[in-house]
Amino acid sequence: MLLESVAYARPDTVAEALEALASSDGAAPLAGGQSLVNVLKHRVASVELLVDISRLEELRQIARGSDGGLEIGACVTYDELDRSEEIRSSHPLLAEVASHIEDQQIRDRGTIGGNCCLSDPTNNLPPLLVALDATMVIESASGRREVPAADFFHGYFATAVGEGELLRSITVPPLAADAGAGYSTVAVGGDSKAIARAAAMVRGNGTIQDARVVLACVSPTPMRHGGMEEALRGAEATMEAVQAAAEQIGDDLEPLGDAHGSADYRRAMARVVARRAVCQAMVKGGN
Amino acid sequence: MVDAGTVQAIEFTINGDKTQATVESRQLLVHFIRDTLGMKGTHVGCDTGSCGACSVIVDGKLVKSCMMLAPQADGAEIETIEGLSRGGELTPVQQAFHEEHGLQCGYCTPGVVMAATFLLRRNPEPTEEEIRRSVRGNICRCTGYVNILRSIEAAAQASRAEVEEAA
Amino acid sequence: MSTAPTETPVETRSTIGQSVPRVEDRRLLQGQGEFVDDVWMHRTGHAHFVRSPHGHARIVSIDVSRALSLDGVYTVLTGEEAKEMCAVPFFQIAPAPAGNLEEWPLAVDKVRYHGDAVAVVLAETRELARDAAELVDVEYEPLPAVVDTVKAADPDAPILHEVVGSNVAWHGTYDWGDIDFALENADHVVEIDRLHFHRFSSTPLECNGAVVHWDPGTNIVSISSNNQMPMFASMVIGPTIGVASNRLTFSSQDIGGAFGIKIGSYPQIAALALLSKKAGRPAKWTEYRTDHMLSAGHGNERTFLDTKVAVQKDGTILGFKTRAFDDAGAYLHYEPLGAVIWSQVSCGCYRLKHLNVDYTETLTNKCPTIPNRGYSRLQHLWLTERIIDIVAHELGFDPVQLRKLNYVQPEDYPYETPNGCVYDSGDLPRSLDIALELIDVEKWRARQRELGHGSGKRIGIGIGSTLDSGTNNFGQARIVNPDLPFSGNGEACFAKLDLYGEVNVNLGTTPQGQGHETTAAQVVADILNMSPDQVQVTAGFNQQQNTYVAFSGTYASQFAVTGLGAAQGAAEKLRAEIIELAAYALQADADQIELADGMCSVRGDAERAIPFIGIANMIYSNNAVLTPEMRDRLSLNCRHVYTPPFQVPDPEKKTGNLTLTYASQIHACVVEVDEETGEVKILDYAAVDDCGKRIHPQIVEGQVHGATALGIGAALYEAFEYDETGQLQQASFYDYHALTALDAPDIKTGEIESPSPFTPNGAKGMGEGGGAPLHAICSAIQDALGPEDAVVYDSHNPWERVWSLVHSGERGEPRGVKVTSK
Repeated sequence: MLLESVAYARPDTVAEALEALASSDGAAPLAGGQSLVNVLKHRVASVELLVDISRLEELRQIARGSDGGLEIGACVTYDELDRSEEIRSSHPLLAEVASHIEDQQIRDRGTIGGNCCLSDPTNNLPPLLVALDATMVIESASGRREVPAADFFHGYFATAVGEGELLRSITVPPLAADAGAGYSTVAVGGDSKAIARAAAMVRGNGTIQDARVVLACVSPTPMRHGGMEEALRGAEATMEAVQAAAEQIGDDLEPLGDAHGSADYRRAMARVVARRAVCQAMVKGGN
Repeated sequence: MVDAGTVQAIEFTINGDKTQATVESRQLLVHFIRDTLGMKGTHVGCDTGSCGACSVIVDGKLVKSCMMLAPQADGAEIETIEGLSRGGELTPVQQAFHEEHGLQCGYCTPGVVMAATFLLRRNPEPTEEEIRRSVRGNICRCTGYVNILRSIEAAAQASRAEVEEAA
Repeated sequence: MSTAPTETPVETRSTIGQSVPRVEDRRLLQGQGEFVDDVWMHRTGHAHFVRSPHGHARIVSIDVSRALSLDGVYTVLTGEEAKEMCAVPFFQIAPAPAGNLEEWPLAVDKVRYHGDAVAVVLAETRELARDAAELVDVEYEPLPAVVDTVKAADPDAPILHEVVGSNVAWHGTYDWGDIDFALENADHVVEIDRLHFHRFSSTPLECNGAVVHWDPGTNIVSISSNNQMPMFASMVIGPTIGVASNRLTFSSQDIGGAFGIKIGSYPQIAALALLSKKAGRPAKWTEYRTDHMLSAGHGNERTFLDTKVAVQKDGTILGFKTRAFDDAGAYLHYEPLGAVIWSQVSCGCYRLKHLNVDYTETLTNKCPTIPNRGYSRLQHLWLTERIIDIVAHELGFDPVQLRKLNYVQPEDYPYETPNGCVYDSGDLPRSLDIALELIDVEKWRARQRELGHGSGKRIGIGIGSTLDSGTNNFGQARIVNPDLPFSGNGEACFAKLDLYGEVNVNLGTTPQGQGHETTAAQVVADILNMSPDQVQVTAGFNQQQNTYVAFSGTYASQFAVTGLGAAQGAAEKLRAEIIELAAYALQADADQIELADGMCSVRGDAERAIPFIGIANMIYSNNAVLTPEMRDRLSLNCRHVYTPPFQVPDPEKKTGNLTLTYASQIHACVVEVDEETGEVKILDYAAVDDCGKRIHPQIVEGQVHGATALGIGAALYEAFEYDETGQLQQASFYDYHALTALDAPDIKTGEIESPSPFTPNGAKGMGEGGGAPLHAICSAIQDALGPEDAVVYDSHNPWERVWSLVHSGERGEPRGVKVTSK
């Protein structure tokens, strides 16, 4: 419950933040703190310097791109995602999912960047961002680079963000006119930790042109299920076809069992949530 | 830039009073409020930011003060339960909880009252669903939430009635 | 506070039965409650316990040098040191050989559960104490752990306490009637292989805490804590740390929920007393949530094997036999009392005449069991409800009709159970009807038929019938151990007029939200004919100021009887003295004196009056105006101990009147089960309570809501589970999902008031509930299952378990039940 001794710094610009992060091996960015503070309370990781980036305006913007996509600053909170007119108008599912993350207190501080960088398999936003084919913009003293969301998550607490780097923003492309996104969760309780989760993007009217099916909770990182995606491409946009495609999900998965669900249950639920997410995506895409 | 340090000097406003302090960077905001400022109304009920007993309002937002560090209070406006009832006069939310038996042991109560106060500032006419969701982050083991929800609904109605009367 | 003479005729001002505003609210709503972590003494150090990461291990060595070298650390106390400072180990309720087990304030030689405390650090700040605790180097040699309640009894299981020789804390057979004859001759025998009641806790929002000061000047140990049964704690701690009971002073004001769990903090308090003595400073302990989950205490986990039920063809249930295995955890903190307490409700709500329970309590490498809300009765009531439900399911009876047939009927009260307990009053069939009406059961049955099975969602409708037995006869402890010098029960109250005639009341109770300041004021005000806000009831408990008996505290659904009974008695004594003094002062007869709003007047002659301030004056500062005989006898300081009319139970036959009152809770529940995921959603819920006369209806209803929510939480979301090495899997709210506002359903309530013929005010104790939600939800899930599916065998039904049950039939899994019919 009580933290080890730690140093705290609050830079005024992203450049200062990068400098501070580079100044020590044991430096970590502090955004919303809704996960990091717990980690520190339980002393499961040691941080020597917390670099508070939560107030950096540069990281808190939501901007509409000329292609209709969105650039979302890493320090935008879940509550801001929920209440953003921009997001609700073009990517309502993102706002919806953000609005159901735990509780108001967590939503008032927790950030989209933090949700991604913690990279916990049960987190809400990573699978959705992979399904939406988002791009993660990483900044360092030497400049910016972009990593597709699908390549961003490396494992628990491990992402493509390296030493001396910071996640700056997340670019979410516009959904095609005939595309829809879907999301389904089996959780321990209301708006609580996920036991099984899937996010999907489906494009095509009548026949499925393209599909992205992302499973969470079955592996350390969000997993695109190529088998189900393959079975969906070219299939009729019907419940039966989706049901059949979901059968592709099976023993190829090796989820971990824990107090909330055994490996068998998680495998079975992966099929269910994947099907539900895809069906939801199809309905939203006008099928 | 606030330079790196294990100790930080901070300036902040608490319940309308501007003040300063020197804090250990590692100190949780809830312990700063309780131990350093000596304000006992904000409570600690867990160690994972799950229970909401420590809820306060910082810069207009509802937060769990056990999930913020004391140095993050620098430049902030903090409201705790003690700041709500001036001169001992209960706010409409507090009065509603009293009338509807929305508290039993009182331990979750300050956090719940802060959450309800935040909700009604933002949304004076909440639906039942919105009321439930507003206290999702506050665990209560005594009331089963039934009277908490009734209290918040009653507070919303009382405030609406006041507004109508004034109009 | 008016003490002016009234001119209108005196009316009675009784508020009994009214929901008067709660006195406690103002301070609690404004954050001005005084909870234990708010208490501070000059020179206090902060304490942090060093706890075992292992479920079972030998302590090879403890090195505190690194901890001591940290600036700001005052001292460290280890188990060996604590033992040296103690006179004897903690008193044990169990008879030999289990009673020979030794527990000291800190673990010595071995640790026996994940979280067992081996040392405690005292330092200048909270953070330093925590840092120093990490620097205490403990070398452990892990040992095989025992986590299966039943297997723990095996002779070759690893033994927790060598001196006991096995892990059996207690064993006994309860046998009433003739179940073997009944089973041989009944029309049907239903056999249920295994039923399991799971481990969970009410997890009060405020964790344990204490500020303990062993004053080096006076040698008085003052203990500010939130322990809810301080006199029990006192009786255990005193002999161990060698302090007389009049030199231990417990106090508390506001307590953030307790639910029985806060009975179990006495070992830590004892450790803190020794720590304070060693350091020469007060020691303040704030238990954080993880430590609470690991070590504060869990509710009883009970396994029932080979249950056999004798049923007649009309549905009359003659009785049952079962082998019960209860899990005491690693130490006996209040156990094995649970081994007899269940028998207060031996036949549940039903007129069963033949019962045989072979009861074994085992020690395991888990957190010690402590009386969690519904202590030991809810486990047994769950069994009886599972039995009735499974019998209905298997033999094709309507679950409503089967219950009504077997319920104790309204005309049967007072009803003597097979083991001599007396159910005082009630109307179970009508309670059930009200519950079913509240949920509009016909509407849900129709919906259930519509949905059927295979549509994706199923409806299940369930009933849970329970009793909340209140006001224990502590003599039942002798059934567990005939040598224990305990019997009866009681609570004390002190009512007085103070110097200026103010009415003051204090009690031995330790309220945690039940509104005692308010309801005790109502009772006293009723008798003195004034407004409750003219009666001051001391907030909380204070051993130096308040009166008490050994049973004092707030637990076990008894305050309305014992606490308010004591308040009533004290107020009556005070009233009698006031009247006598008023009659003397006004030169009238006592039966002419009337009381109203703090004024005593002669009936029909309002001019002849004297206010309470004048009455107090005669006793406190003007006593020469009284006769010598009155001076000797009257004091306006009136103490009353309410004691229920109990006798000592029979330890041989294990019979006796074990509890004074029996409130009932009949719950009806409608669930929607997702066939694909096993998720359970509560669509409708009704709770009908009968706790006799309701002193303050809103407070009673609040207790019903709270008990219902805790039961729902346990049924669907909350469980403590250990892996095979004894690691607790849910050591924080992150993993232990406490019911939130999004999970809790709306709860409809109904009531019946069947006054108890046995209590001073017709009220029955209530508050714990009997776990009706657990029974009702299991019943509802059972109702949603098909005839090929397994029976609901566990009290905890998270989604995966429900999913397994829903698909158990199609997988051809064993059903766990067998029916043999003549």
